[in-house]
Amino acid sequence: MSDPQKGFYPHGDHAFIANFSESERDVLTNLSEQIIELLAERIDHQSDDPLAVMVGITSHDTPPEDEVLLRLLPNAYSDQVDASEFRRYTESTLRQKKQGHAMAMRSNLIAAIDGVVEIDRDGANDWLGAINDVRLALGVRLKVEENSPEELQLLAPDDPMHGVYAVYGWLGWLQESLLEAVMDGSQ
Amino acid sequence: MVKVNEKVEEELRAIFNGDVPWITIVWDDPVNLMTYVTYVLMELFGYSKEKATELMMKIHTEGKAVVSTGSREEMERDVARIHEFGLWATLQRGDQQ
Repeated sequence: MSDPQKGFYPHGDHAFIANFSESERDVLTNLSEQIIELLAERIDHQSDDPLAVMVGITSHDTPPEDEVLLRLLPNAYSDQVDASEFRRYTESTLRQKKQGHAMAMRSNLIAAIDGVVEIDRDGANDWLGAINDVRLALGVRLKVEENSPEELQLLAPDDPMHGVYAVYGWLGWLQESLLEAVMDGSQ
Repeated sequence: MVKVNEKVEEELRAIFNGDVPWITIVWDDPVNLMTYVTYVLMELFGYSKEKATELMMKIHTEGKAVVSTGSREEMERDVARIHEFGLWATLQRGDQQ
């Protein structure tokens, strides 16, 4: 039956299954909730026109100051004026789409019986996107741009980043297993 | 039926847009898995595994690659879809590389 060392694997023609331990499920649920919260709208009730907000246009057009948010919601143009204009019309939708991926992952985890998650192809895309957003967020905190994998592996066991790096690595392994399952099915 | 390849399609688009084509660039990132980058390019653009793998390798080794060409509006849509899946993309005029 389900092998916890396998990550995701194909089940029939259109489904993918993974079997999570209770602690793995807790970690994934927790991380999906943090992503949902992080991506919540920054609505300025003083100056934002409610109608514009409804259709996804916001008055803020500056890049997020938080490094993690900036990686999740990057500039689309190198030119600052073009980047701001694009952000004004699209950032809100991007936040919602990313939240949607994380929300789908969270629902699947909460609905899982005995830790078994079964998803279809659309669900797989939600999971791939959500896991990736979590990895991007952790990657910023781990400074993977500057630190080599060797350096990160040598973090002292009592360094909190040691545990973060372990989760980051595990998420990469889980994502890879789902990618293999999905790409295998599409060949 | 007349058959046109990608290059001709680009030219035709450029004629009707009355402008130089715009391009979408995906930048290298140390976090995104190589398999994931390949998958996203296949999924979003309908590229074959071979073409997507080739583009992924270009991104990985050269730091960036042009993944699509078209009108400015089309490239804005492509960039938004790529950002949804966490790769970092930008768009620009094709003649300003």
